[in-house]
Amino acid sequence: MIIIGLWGLAIILLSYDVLREFFYKRETKIMKLIYQFLAIAGFGLMVFYTVSLWIELERPPMRTTGETRLWFSIFVLIISFIIFKTWKYKVLLGGGLFFSILFLIINFTNPEALNKTMAPVLQSDWFIPHVIVYMLSYAILGMSWFVAVLALIPKIKSNWKGKEFTIADNLVYIGFGFLTLGLVFGAFWAKEAWGHYWTWDPKETWAMITWMAYLLYIHYRLKHKEDTNKALWILVIAFILLIICWFGINYLAEGTNSVHTYSN
Amino acid sequence: MEEQPINRRIWSGLWGYRESFLIISGFFIAGILLGYFQDKEISVIKWPINLYFGLVLILIILIFGVFLRNSSTFRWLSGNKNAISSISFYLVLIILLGLIPQKQEYSEDLLYRLGFSHILSSHFFLFAQVYLLLSLGATIIRKFNKINLKNIAFFINHFGLWLTLFAIGLGAGDLKKVKMEINKVNPVFEGIYDNGETTGDLGLAIQLIKFNIDFYPPKAYLIGAETGEILNQHEFISLKEKEDGIIDKWVIKVDKYLDYAVGIKEKFHPVYETGAVPAAYIIAKNSETGQVLSGWISCGSFRFPGNFLELSEDQLLVMADPEAKSYKSEIKIYTKEGEVFESELTVGKPVSVNGWKIYQTSYDTEKGRWSEISIVELVKDPWLWVVYSGLIMMVLGAIYLIITGKRKQ
Repeated sequence: MIIIGLWGLAIILLSYDVLREFFYKRETKIMKLIYQFLAIAGFGLMVFYTVSLWIELERPPMRTTGETRLWFSIFVLIISFIIFKTWKYKVLLGGGLFFSILFLIINFTNPEALNKTMAPVLQSDWFIPHVIVYMLSYAILGMSWFVAVLALIPKIKSNWKGKEFTIADNLVYIGFGFLTLGLVFGAFWAKEAWGHYWTWDPKETWAMITWMAYLLYIHYRLKHKEDTNKALWILVIAFILLIICWFGINYLAEGTNSVHTYSN
Repeated sequence: MEEQPINRRIWSGLWGYRESFLIISGFFIAGILLGYFQDKEISVIKWPINLYFGLVLILIILIFGVFLRNSSTFRWLSGNKNAISSISFYLVLIILLGLIPQKQEYSEDLLYRLGFSHILSSHFFLFAQVYLLLSLGATIIRKFNKINLKNIAFFINHFGLWLTLFAIGLGAGDLKKVKMEINKVNPVFEGIYDNGETTGDLGLAIQLIKFNIDFYPPKAYLIGAETGEILNQHEFISLKEKEDGIIDKWVIKVDKYLDYAVGIKEKFHPVYETGAVPAAYIIAKNSETGQVLSGWISCGSFRFPGNFLELSEDQLLVMADPEAKSYKSEIKIYTKEGEVFESELTVGKPVSVNGWKIYQTSYDTEKGRWSEISIVELVKDPWLWVVYSGLIMMVLGAIYLIITGKRKQ
């Protein structure tokens, strides 16, 4: 718990620096170095925490909701850092940090039992790839949501001069690739475990909904390049569907009997 | 792609969203009405009907793509606007599937009659899938004459999805799932289908030789005396000898742990007998008052009662039923052809016999580690390799997307 607090602090400091820079509109080399260093330091701490959690639990820390949030936080930080390095928009690094801290805080306020048990069906070679690939896609698509939300603000949109779509489209294509892998790995795993690829349980239904929503975005962008507002809204809604898939099913009535309901 | 004048008359020229919308909503309403008046769900098609249906579908796509390439119908069907329409239609239906509670059995209420509480077996969902296959098939065949290394990814992605949907949709009727309860006394040669019907002789028989199950150490929780609900949800003690921990204001120590025990007058003794229970001798100290309480706790079993420790008027320390870590069955299989062999069945590692794949799915959870039976499921899936081909293509297509992102395609 202490560790969460520690690196939470590191990341907060970090984002403060980014924001301060943003408002002063003048870049100092030192500022840039500091916040990048802090971002990487925070990341290092998170990796260290995850590894020690893995060792302590004697199982991959990917089974509970909180554990998946941990991976999301890690991946979102990596992705936003890569975006920042590639396209130089500081606000996106800030966005990634925001997401990362947000989910860490959610974890902090919703402590979970450090439960070592893992049902037999989860002890499969598919468990790790399926979860990792999905969390990676969630992080990438989460960043695309952030881009879309920002781009819907007219002042920011005019600053970016269309670049927002280069970033968003790239993120969606790559994120969608990982999403597809997650879906297919799940089908392979299900076939091995129960003999059926797909059972339309709440999680699978919403996973398909999410997949189709991003598929829709991709095809809409191909045909209607000029209609940027509609495309951005599709992107915003698609991520909301993704969140419903990730967390929402725990609250739906039918979710309780699903194999996908995160056991606590 | 030339754009149509804004005042294009419907059904004329190059078709677009309006035509898609009318056609889709037409079939959607027709599906609702059919379902309402027909009063039953669509029955699943089996071999060889599904093959004929599939061939007809492919034929339609080919005829369009080869002979009617330049017709406005084909250009619309294979075009991006219709892709967006067909995806949207399917998406709307599965969102309804995700939001409306679905019923497995026939019901007289309006929602069911209209098809919305049994979407997966509704006419309009069937139509949505067929429409998607037609549109997607048309898209693939349209670019087929221009296939080259550069757009191979387009084909892998689109054809992979098409093949998967095609095989899963058509092959569903040929998928056989049989639930079997096997025991140590007699080989079992028949089981029950999904719908409750017995299968009759399957041509093979399975006997359970030994059932092995491993549990995680049981956990102790604090529950409310009145409600029976767990207090302090995230605090528990793993019951292993000499283990200790804290729940609420109690420091709990596991003084003794017995894996197999029987209790007499709230005292537990190590006994290895059918129905023997795990038991732990607990010493609990209240960190505020200093009060020390001790006693045996056990989850009990189907045969012997358990026990709990009353820590206060409304706090009871109980042992939860242990959670399964892994289980497997050693089985003996007899085939109609006279073969006899032994095998081991674990969760996630099916055994293949005579076209069937046998899966370890469950056991007698009431008897837990004393389960005398093993529950297995036999699955026959003749369309498996078609589905796998489609899925593998989708994997390759996805990897391509990841590596290239959105370059100029």
